[in-house]
Amino acid sequence: MQHVCYRLIWLCLALAGAGPRLAIAQHDHTSSDFEVFVAAEAFHGARGVQAGEADPWVNADIVLGLTEHKFRVFGEYYITPDERDLERFQMGFEFVPETVLWFGRFHQPASAWNTEHHHGQYLQTDITRPFIERWEDEHGIIPQHIAGALFESRQSIGKESAIQIEAGLGAAPALSDRELDAIDFTGGNPGRHRLSVTGRLAYLPEYVGPSSMGLLIAVDDLSVSSPRTLVALGSNSAKINLYGAYADWTSEAWRIVAANYYVDVALTSAARNESFVSGYVQVERRLSPFTVFGRLEDSARMQESRYVALFDDMDSDIDVALRRQALGVRWDYTRRQALTLELSHIVSLSRTSNEVRVQWSAAIP
Amino acid sequence: MECGNPVSKIAAAAVLISLLMASQRLLAAEQLVLIVSADSKVEQLDSLEVRKLFLGLTVTQHGDRLRPVLNESDSRVKEIFLQNVVSMSDTTYDRSVLRLTLIQGQAKPTVYRNLELLLKAVIADPTAVSYAWAKDVAQNPRIKLLRVIWYD
Repeated sequence: MQHVCYRLIWLCLALAGAGPRLAIAQHDHTSSDFEVFVAAEAFHGARGVQAGEADPWVNADIVLGLTEHKFRVFGEYYITPDERDLERFQMGFEFVPETVLWFGRFHQPASAWNTEHHHGQYLQTDITRPFIERWEDEHGIIPQHIAGALFESRQSIGKESAIQIEAGLGAAPALSDRELDAIDFTGGNPGRHRLSVTGRLAYLPEYVGPSSMGLLIAVDDLSVSSPRTLVALGSNSAKINLYGAYADWTSEAWRIVAANYYVDVALTSAARNESFVSGYVQVERRLSPFTVFGRLEDSARMQESRYVALFDDMDSDIDVALRRQALGVRWDYTRRQALTLELSHIVSLSRTSNEVRVQWSAAIP
Repeated sequence: MECGNPVSKIAAAAVLISLLMASQRLLAAEQLVLIVSADSKVEQLDSLEVRKLFLGLTVTQHGDRLRPVLNESDSRVKEIFLQNVVSMSDTTYDRSVLRLTLIQGQAKPTVYRNLELLLKAVIADPTAVSYAWAKDVAQNPRIKLLRVIWYD
């Protein structure tokens, strides 16, 4: 199986090399683009902690987009030695400039981090993503991949600023054994998939700038598809209500990304409902060609949550962290290639650990 | 019939000579201009629309989605474009465009490093928008100049 995976990664790299030839941009109003984001990572954890699903030693994220008049098709395919997933596949219609209705599998808009960085490691300054923003197959506790309809709009207000509205409606993941199972377009879909409603309202000080701040909301009705989870939770479903606020602010050489989420978990037995809070703040400072960054993650009441405990499989890697302090430096040593070093101290549900990661990341072509 | 005041004649001649010299300087000055095909329906684009277009966002006119074409035929044109059109460093611009590709699969602007090929592409596509030195396009009847985006 690993041979197939490596061949796929090499095939992607070869296709990326041919990218400029594949790119179409003609006066028939059709344009397309093809990009591959690759990364390789080395990991060392103290006290026997091993690299988990979130730290593959090599990964490739292939992005392909096609625009024909007002129609758009877009796909993101992610490959690691253990995983090959069509992460996003969206078909959209752009009614007016920057107002698009998409159908397909998308990243839910109530995540401050994932809607900005997706699976492309090169465009993320640091190596790790905050624990609360982890993907479902990395034991992430918040549903991230939804299959259905996504409405996105960015409209000018005033002379330079804009507001951004995003709303998603579709099928939520199912709650299986120690992880969420999102709808998979290329594989099986065990369990029932109930409704997910997600949204974001953001203010952009500049229509074309990188800064934004806003409010996030998500309501996911999760159906339990595993007997072990059913016993542990004592409920055949969990309704996740998420309310959040975020800011992603860039000012000259400084960037601050901060988000805070209040998560309410409603179980079928109303007396056992629970809630927790999780947030993070990351500060980055560019000192070209280096970028220094630090991130603090913290939470409240997560250690008391039965829902959160479901995602910890007590193996050699850390699946759910209560707190983390991370510090690192990124070196953009040449065009579209970077080396990053990240040190972190983690307090998880069952232990504490220190971790060191080194990563090479690139965008090809 | 009066022959007029000789002092006024001298003054008028001086003003005329000054104007001629000024226009000569203007013609000789370097100008980077925004261009489209002569067949294009685009008559004007303001600086925010130009910035949106070259940052990969959707800009339409008369129902047509405009297509940005980057001129990298000489390093000075690229430098002026980065400073005056998108107001970003080369690395930041590259990351901004990559980011839109990652977020929505938006196509990056087409890059031309040969001016002749760039002009052919612009002439052939009424939705293409690019920029070039005024001296390279001023006499070309198949190219329409929208406005000056930089001058020295």
